[in-house]
Amino acid sequence: MTHALRAVLGAAVLAVLAALGGIALTAPVAAGTDGANAPVISTQNTRTVKGERYIPGIWVDPDGCEHWVMDDGVEGYMSPHVDRKGIPVCRRGNTCGVLNSDQYFATDSYRIHSAGRAKLEEFFRSSTATAFIIAGHTDSRASDSYNMRLSFNRATSVAKVARATGARIADVRGYGERMPAATNSTVEGMAKNRRVEIICIR
Amino acid sequence: MKLARTLMALAAAASVSACVDVPIGPDKSVDRNLIDRKDLSQLKAGVWIDPNGCDHWIIDDGVEGYLSARLDKYGKPVCSGSAPPTMVTGDFKGGSTSVIGDPL
Repeated sequence: MTHALRAVLGAAVLAVLAALGGIALTAPVAAGTDGANAPVISTQNTRTVKGERYIPGIWVDPDGCEHWVMDDGVEGYMSPHVDRKGIPVCRRGNTCGVLNSDQYFATDSYRIHSAGRAKLEEFFRSSTATAFIIAGHTDSRASDSYNMRLSFNRATSVAKVARATGARIADVRGYGERMPAATNSTVEGMAKNRRVEIICIR
Repeated sequence: MKLARTLMALAAAASVSACVDVPIGPDKSVDRNLIDRKDLSQLKAGVWIDPNGCDHWIIDDGVEGYLSARLDKYGKPVCSGSAPPTMVTGDFKGGSTSVIGDPL
């Protein structure tokens, strides 16, 4: 079938659909028989959308995260699958280490104990990852800005140890109390939230 | 040899574009070409580093090409530094067959 013929046929089909759909869409959506108690549903809220349906497939990248993928004949399209907050939808994570902050830092401090430093050096020396992302987190006590600063300082301390072993650091971040892993209303939950995450990039 | 391969590829591309004029329907999750036919979940990716140094998944699937950002669990771009900007690494043409290959 030629492209022009297809376009004409498509337009004809659309016109028929629009004619049929126009009647259905502009009719009151919930007209009651008595009329008195029927809610007035504004027809301003109904609109006819002219378009074509594109149902995507899902491709999972080597990190385990999903992407929308469409093949439209000779064109291909792809975009990361993220939720409405911008967080990628992944089937597995690439977090390869979570440091319990209590075991590496004193309260309010970002100096790593010497025992913790040795453990970290061992971790980064034995890892096969090509790069690391270091992200610090705190519980929700103290102010947000204080926690942002503390978590970033702690992540930086970890990154320093990593760099000294020759590891490549792709990014260092502090998320403060904004990305809790557990509830902040229990002691155990708060302990879980005080952490430094290491993401391995392979 | 190279000319013959290119001609063959062009002929193949022409036959493919002839057959894709058949309406594909709303489900775009399958590669319906006669050559390279597959479910799109099987695509093989390489990594392209953009001019800012950040990673993208790149896939050459014969006549289709795909590019999508590599994001970490927080939704930020992954800038691994595994290669210099504008370089591509990895076997990203693995999804296409030798028939079409990558003539262009």
